[in-house]
Amino acid sequence: MTTTETPATTAPAPTASGRRLTTAKAMVEGIAQEMERDPSVFYLGEDVGAYGGIFSSTTGLLERFGPDRVMDTPISESAFLGLATGAAVEGMRPIAELMFVDFFGVCMDQLYNHMAKIHYESGGNVRVPMVVTTAVGGGYSDGAQHSQCLWGTFAHLPGMKVVVPSTPYDAKGLITAAIRDDNPVVYMFHKGVMGLPWMAKNPRATGPVPEEPYEVPIGKAAVVREGRDATVVTVSLSVHHALDVADELAADGIDLEVVDLRSLKPLDRETVLVSVAKTGRLLVVDEDYLSYGLSGEIAATVAETDPGLLRSPVRRVAVPDVPIPYAHPLEYAVLPTRDRIREAVHQLVRA
Amino acid sequence: MDSGLRLSLYRTMVLIRVFEEAILREYHADKRPAFDIGAGLVPGEMHLSAGQEPVAAGVCAHLTAGDAVTATHRPHHLAIAHGVNLDRLAAEIFGRETGLGRGRGGHMHLFDPDTHFSCSGIIAEGYPPALGQAFAFHRQGTDRVAVAVTGEGAANQGAFHESLNLAALWRLPVVFVVEDNDWGISVPRSASTCVTSNAIRAAGYDMPGERVEDNSVEAVYEAAGRAVARARAGEGPSLLEVHTLRMWGHFEGDAQAYRTDLEGVPGRDPIATYEHALRSAGLLDDGQVKTVNEDAVARVEAAIAFAKSSPEPAPETATEYVFA
Amino acid sequence: MTEVLFPQLSDEDPNGEGVLATWFVEDGATVAGGELIAEVMVGKVTSEVHAPAGGAIHLAVHEDDVVRQRTVIATIS
Repeated sequence: MTTTETPATTAPAPTASGRRLTTAKAMVEGIAQEMERDPSVFYLGEDVGAYGGIFSSTTGLLERFGPDRVMDTPISESAFLGLATGAAVEGMRPIAELMFVDFFGVCMDQLYNHMAKIHYESGGNVRVPMVVTTAVGGGYSDGAQHSQCLWGTFAHLPGMKVVVPSTPYDAKGLITAAIRDDNPVVYMFHKGVMGLPWMAKNPRATGPVPEEPYEVPIGKAAVVREGRDATVVTVSLSVHHALDVADELAADGIDLEVVDLRSLKPLDRETVLVSVAKTGRLLVVDEDYLSYGLSGEIAATVAETDPGLLRSPVRRVAVPDVPIPYAHPLEYAVLPTRDRIREAVHQLVRA
Repeated sequence: MDSGLRLSLYRTMVLIRVFEEAILREYHADKRPAFDIGAGLVPGEMHLSAGQEPVAAGVCAHLTAGDAVTATHRPHHLAIAHGVNLDRLAAEIFGRETGLGRGRGGHMHLFDPDTHFSCSGIIAEGYPPALGQAFAFHRQGTDRVAVAVTGEGAANQGAFHESLNLAALWRLPVVFVVEDNDWGISVPRSASTCVTSNAIRAAGYDMPGERVEDNSVEAVYEAAGRAVARARAGEGPSLLEVHTLRMWGHFEGDAQAYRTDLEGVPGRDPIATYEHALRSAGLLDDGQVKTVNEDAVARVEAAIAFAKSSPEPAPETATEYVFA
Repeated sequence: MTEVLFPQLSDEDPNGEGVLATWFVEDGATVAGGELIAEVMVGKVTSEVHAPAGGAIHLAVHEDDVVRQRTVIATIS
C-alpha cells in the first residue's frame, strides 16, 4: 500500500456569493432540486408535510410540491417503509423518513431483510433506488430511546449504503447523491448539526452551500483539517468537536489531522490508512456505542493492514455501552465531548 | 362458468401439483438415509403448496403479467399461476446461475421483474412492498393491481394490520389474500387468532372482506374477480380469505405429529374434487385427464432438467450483486 | 439605508421577545435583495429573514441575543 496518495477532497471553496445555509436548509434544498428534476422522487414519513419534519428535514416542501409528493403517513413504519421499497422496485425514487433512528426496531425487517437484500437475492435483476432519512444523536436530554446514533448497526448489515453528513455542504451533496443512487441509501442526519434554532448548535452547523445542484461522492471521506501529529477519524457532530479541539491544541503545538468519514458504507479505508501512515497515531471519535461498531472497524482496518503504522495504541472515544442517560451531567459524561477528545489526544501523543 | 375457463383453471392446478411433486421428489432424493436438511441438490428449507392450488389458480386468472404478486415462504403455486418462467423458477430452487436470482435467493426469495412477482420468508412482510407496487402503478396512470398473499398466521403480525390500514387510507389498488390452511406450522388457527375469520377484520380496516370456505377454485375465482375489479376501478383494497388445505408438512421434514386432521387430508384434495366436478359436467374424460397430466409432466421435467444441467454459481462471485 | 426588523411572529404578544437564532451573513458583507440573512424564533415559531434590499449589511444584534419583535436587527446601506 502506498503512502503517497493525495488526501481525499475537502469541501470546495464557497461560491462567489458566499451564500450560507444551515445543514437542515441545505438538505431541504438538495431534496427540492431533485424533486424538481425527477418527478419520480417523493417524500413520505411522519410529520413531513405541514410540519416540515420535526427536525426541519422537509420545511417548505409540501407548499412547493403538494400533498401528492410530500406525504404524511400514519405511525406505521413497517407499512410505509415497505411501501417505499415496493415503489422503488417499480421504478420510483422514494425518500422515506424514519423519524428517529431509535425507532428502527419496529420496522427493521423491511429495511435490512427487504430493502437491503432484494437486489442481491434477485441476482441484480431488481433494483431498490430508495433513500431512508433519519435523525440521530443526543446531547439535549432526550433520553435513551431518542438519542442514539446506531450507524454501526446499519453499516454492519449488508446491502444498504450509509451516509452521515456533518456540514451543510455535505448535507446537500450527499442527499443528492443518495437520491440519484440506484441502491438503498440510509441518510443519517445528527439533530445537533442541523442548525435548528431551538437546539444548541455548533457554529459549523451553518456554512457555504452552492446554489446549483451537485453531488458529494458516496464512499469518500474528507480530510477536513490537515495535521502531522495525530489522526482523528470521526463522523457527524463529532467532526465539529474534533475541529474545535484541534483549534485549541494548535496553540499547544499539537497538530491534529481530522478525517470526516462522511460515508460508513462504503467505507473509505484508504483515506484513513494514508492519514495514519502520515501521523502514526489514531483516535476514533464515535457517538455510537463503543463495542462492536464503527470505532472497532477503523481500528481493525489499521491492525489488519499494517499495525506497524502505529506509534502508540489506537484510542477510541465513544459512548460506553450504556443506555444514554437523561440527566444532563450523566448524558454529558457518556457523550464524546470535547473534554474527552482532548484528554484522549493528550494520552495519544504522550504514549 | 365458461368451460374453457374451467379447464384452464384445472390445467393450472395440475401444473402446480406436478411441479410440487417433482420438487418433493428431487428434494428428498439425496437426503437419505438420514434426513440432512443442508444436503443435496436442493438444500435448505422447502415449503410446498400442494392443496393450495385453488388460491393461486383462482386469483391469478384475473391478473396479467403487469400486475404484481407478493407471496410467502410457500410461493411456488403463486409463481406458477402468475406466469413466472418455469425453467428459471426451477433453476433458482436448485441454486443455479440461470435461476431467477442467480442462485442467490433460493426457494423463498424469488424475484421476477417480468411478472412483478416477489416473495419473502418473513411472515406478513410481503404486504408492505405490495402497497408500494400498487402505489407506483396508480401514480404511473395504470389500472394495474398488486395482490399480496399471506397465511392466516400472518394476520396476527403488526405489518399485516399496518398495511391494511394504510392501503385503505390511501385507497391503494391492492388485493389482500389470506390463505388459511389451518396451521401456523404446528399451531392451529384457533390457538392463534381471536376471530374465526380474517374477513371479519376487514371491517376494522374499512374494506370489504370475504371468506371462501371450501377451497373451491371457482369460488375463489368469483371472489377474486370482485376484489380485483374493485382495485382496478380505483375503489381501494379488499381482503379475501380462503380456507384452503396444506396437504403436506409446513416444511419438508415436518413429521406433523401435532396434526389431528391428517386422515381426512386425501379426501380433501382440491384437484381430485375439481376433476370429479368437471367429469360430472362432461368436460373431462380419462383421455383428457391423461393428456393434461402428461403435458404438465413434460413441462415440469423439462424445467427440472434445465435446472440440473445449469452451472452452479462460482464461489468467487459470492459478493457480487450486493449493490447495483 | 434600509432597516431590517425582527419580524412579528406573535399576534397575542406583538411586543414580546424572541431570539436571533442564526446569522447567515457576516457583519459588513454585501447582500443581495431577497437573500436569506437570518433565522429568528419567538416561542417555538421560527421564521426566515430575507434582505429587504441589496447592499452592505451591518448587524445590530448577535446570534442568540434576545430581541423584541419589530426592533432593528440590522441595517443595509
